[in-house]
Amino acid sequence: MLGILSIIVFLPVLMAIPTYILGKIKPKLARIVCIGTTTALFGLTMLTLVFYRYGSSTPAFQLVDTMPWAPSFGLNYIVGLDGISLPLLIISTFLSLLACAGSWDLINFQEPEYYALFLIFETGIIGVFSSLNLILFYVFWEIVLIPMFFFIGVWGGPRRRYAALKFLLFTYSASAVMLFGFLAVFAYTHTFDYISVNGSPTLMSQVSQMPMFIQLFASVTTFIGFAVKLPIVPFHTWLPDAHVEAPAPVSVLLAGLLLKMGGYGFIRYNLLLFSNAANTLWPYFAGIGLITMIYGATVALVQTDLKRMIAMTSINHMGFVLLGTFSRDIAGVSGAVFQMFNHALAIGILFLMSGYIHEHMGTRNINELGGLRGRMPLTATLLVFGSLAAMAIPGLSNFISEYLVIAGALTANPIFALAIIAPALTVGYFLWMLRRVVLTPATGPRNELHLHSLIILAAFLVPLFILGAYPGPMLDSIIRPTILRFLGGGP
Amino acid sequence: MRLRPAPYLGILGLLIALGSISWFILVNYQPTALGALRFDLFTYFFGGILIGTSTLVALASLGFTKGDPNEAPYYGLLLLSTLGMVILAASQDLVLLYVGWELMSVPTYALTAIKKRDVLSNEAAMKFFVLSAMSSALLVYAISLIYGMTGSTSLVDIRSILVNIAVSQPGVKPFGVIALVLFIVGFGVKMAVVPFHMWIPDAFEGAPSTISALLASGAKLAAFAAAFRVFIFGMGTFQVDWYSTFAILAIVTMTLGNVAALMQKSFTRLLAYSSIAQAGYLLIALAVTTPTNTLGLAGAIFHSLNYGILKTATFVAAAAIATKLPVTDLTSFNGLGKRMPQTAFGITILFLALAGVPPLNGFFSKAILFTGALNSPFSWGPYLAIAALLNSGFSMGYYGWVIKRMYLDDPADASRLPEPRSYTRILWLAVILTFAIGIYPQPWISLSQSAATSLLSIVS
Repeated sequence: MLGILSIIVFLPVLMAIPTYILGKIKPKLARIVCIGTTTALFGLTMLTLVFYRYGSSTPAFQLVDTMPWAPSFGLNYIVGLDGISLPLLIISTFLSLLACAGSWDLINFQEPEYYALFLIFETGIIGVFSSLNLILFYVFWEIVLIPMFFFIGVWGGPRRRYAALKFLLFTYSASAVMLFGFLAVFAYTHTFDYISVNGSPTLMSQVSQMPMFIQLFASVTTFIGFAVKLPIVPFHTWLPDAHVEAPAPVSVLLAGLLLKMGGYGFIRYNLLLFSNAANTLWPYFAGIGLITMIYGATVALVQTDLKRMIAMTSINHMGFVLLGTFSRDIAGVSGAVFQMFNHALAIGILFLMSGYIHEHMGTRNINELGGLRGRMPLTATLLVFGSLAAMAIPGLSNFISEYLVIAGALTANPIFALAIIAPALTVGYFLWMLRRVVLTPATGPRNELHLHSLIILAAFLVPLFILGAYPGPMLDSIIRPTILRFLGGGP
Repeated sequence: MRLRPAPYLGILGLLIALGSISWFILVNYQPTALGALRFDLFTYFFGGILIGTSTLVALASLGFTKGDPNEAPYYGLLLLSTLGMVILAASQDLVLLYVGWELMSVPTYALTAIKKRDVLSNEAAMKFFVLSAMSSALLVYAISLIYGMTGSTSLVDIRSILVNIAVSQPGVKPFGVIALVLFIVGFGVKMAVVPFHMWIPDAFEGAPSTISALLASGAKLAAFAAAFRVFIFGMGTFQVDWYSTFAILAIVTMTLGNVAALMQKSFTRLLAYSSIAQAGYLLIALAVTTPTNTLGLAGAIFHSLNYGILKTATFVAAAAIATKLPVTDLTSFNGLGKRMPQTAFGITILFLALAGVPPLNGFFSKAILFTGALNSPFSWGPYLAIAALLNSGFSMGYYGWVIKRMYLDDPADASRLPEPRSYTRILWLAVILTFAIGIYPQPWISLSQSAATSLLSIVS
């Protein structure tokens, strides 16, 4: 039976065809259909918040839709939501809406193709967060890849061809390794289903009966697949290129949503599914997370391109997700989920803003961008707020999630106190950037952004402020009960 | 307009054959054996794939053969070759299998050289002929050795006699091994197994693109069908470890195919090496299929269907491009997305499917094939699977490269080029099939699984 969640998953891809056809008649129609669809999707997501049942006595996965797809090969169409995927679903539809709105000013050629691919991308990303069958997950995982390749390659900056191909090869090879882990699991368990359909055995019960080396093997191969998306340090080189070349709304999608696929994969598969393997491997995974955080922060310090700096911040912040996940502590894992939600918003405003600033000022070089305080005062204010969010200043919800991650990591092992270096460095390079970009004297005429651009940018900050003041609805009602259920009161 | 009975009559014949196969599968399925021919689900399914690819080739050739004085012989030879392929898939007797092999091969020599005044086409035919004739000779030799050992040419008898032959007559075992090697080389030439692949890039580049499509899909898949029959059914009981031989051949073939494809500057040669790599994936089935593990074989049968569609259509796309641009040069692909939008879109979808991107058809057949390798009773099964998956990831290097050229690079001349209808029709048909099979693979998966089981059962 198909319910509201299936509609949310497939509505965008179905709307991609009319978007393309109408866009061919008049490019403006493509924008209107796209923004209409993304608005409708955000509305439907808010509706799931009504249908979702909160508390600890509810089933683990809710709003589940199942349908046999290719049962002879263990393929079933299963989608469902829990406290890990629901925040990511909300952020996916919210960010897609804002990125689509942000594309109005920043994308000005081949619009039918752009908006059609945009909607295909949205189906992929929502599908990744809601699918509960390994192969279905992989299908959506790969659907995300192809539109992103074209986004970077067609609408990107001067080195777009190189960046697009690099992105494709990195992530596609990693996906192949990940698929190997999935197929190895299937060879032993003969199922791909995360939850039971008609009383069939589930992965959860079967995986723990696999031989230990197969569990370790499956955990490591899938980890590689997710780690390239996150990205972790040795595999991160595609990210700065992709971000710098991608148009700003696409950077929002890339950093806000695509990176979250990796973080989600860590929690859903490496931590919860291959939990026996995680008991052995967690120090390595968490250690990689720590290195990624500190490396990302250090490299961001020396960037002169505003966008490249934000891209490096993103590596730093996603390291928190990895560290929090493999602290295997209730607070740490909850913090990791919440961090993904917050990071998507904070990085979204910064990337979109860098695109607008580039469009208006003609440069993104931090040393050339002086005096924003006088030239675009409102934009500069928003930039300060966005930076405060990225710095995790108390009052914004990023502080809560980073605090939870570090608290969880300390519970796991005191050595992870080193993690505190990363936020310290982050504050350093953001303040230095703000000093150079905002606080220097103005050297040119006033050049403020349009009102609608400012509204789009401000919209990113609203949830951060609300959840920063009162994180209860998200943290205690949605995320924490699920984590408690899966981790069973902590290790 | 001049009346052209030959092509339409040929296509009509192929469609009737395709229709009757569907009827046999869907309505009136009863495995039967008529002497040396065997009509089980494997025959029907493979027959359907082979006739289907020939139909695509015939439809795509409509524009190419227009006004050619050799039009009627062209379609006649195509049909004769198709008959040979179907006999190959259906025969359970080695003599008939050889007849089918020759019936398939001889017309393709003439078809490769159909452009009589073209030096490249003639060179290709010559190379193809010499190697193919050698492979036929080796097959005959292998068949005679097997006959000497078992006193029969029927695969059913061979299967039952070979069970005990290693114990009862240990002296003949070496001859059996020689026969196996000769079979591998003989079939390997047509299956594009490294190191017997040398003729492929030259032949595909020289032959008309539509005939390359026939060689790359139909002829190769028919050779695979015969190899499945001979190795998995006929010699499956012979107590010799030929499984690991095929595993090594599979890894070498797919790796060399993919690495060489990455270095090509010519589109048809790239397609040729990509078809060699795909042959490496199909070889996995020969390496891992045992009576208890037919998943790999099912995957290979399903992959044959997908490969047949995809490869035929990519060569048809090459033919469409060759009408205006030199396909031997990849730089002519720059900006093709704007110059020939339909062809470029078709190639993109087909390439993504060949690389194994879901939800297109190639992904599911590859996934089943590789799971078959993981499921195999052999200790090297997982290594074979990981080699195949890494190759699959690696293959995106050249598929993605071509897509990058078509959509991201700027052409030297951005003028719009005409796209012949006879080719774009086939491309759209293939794209629709690619999506349809990929989005709802269930009937095809269960059909392939039944076909794999039927291959291993004895029909009286």
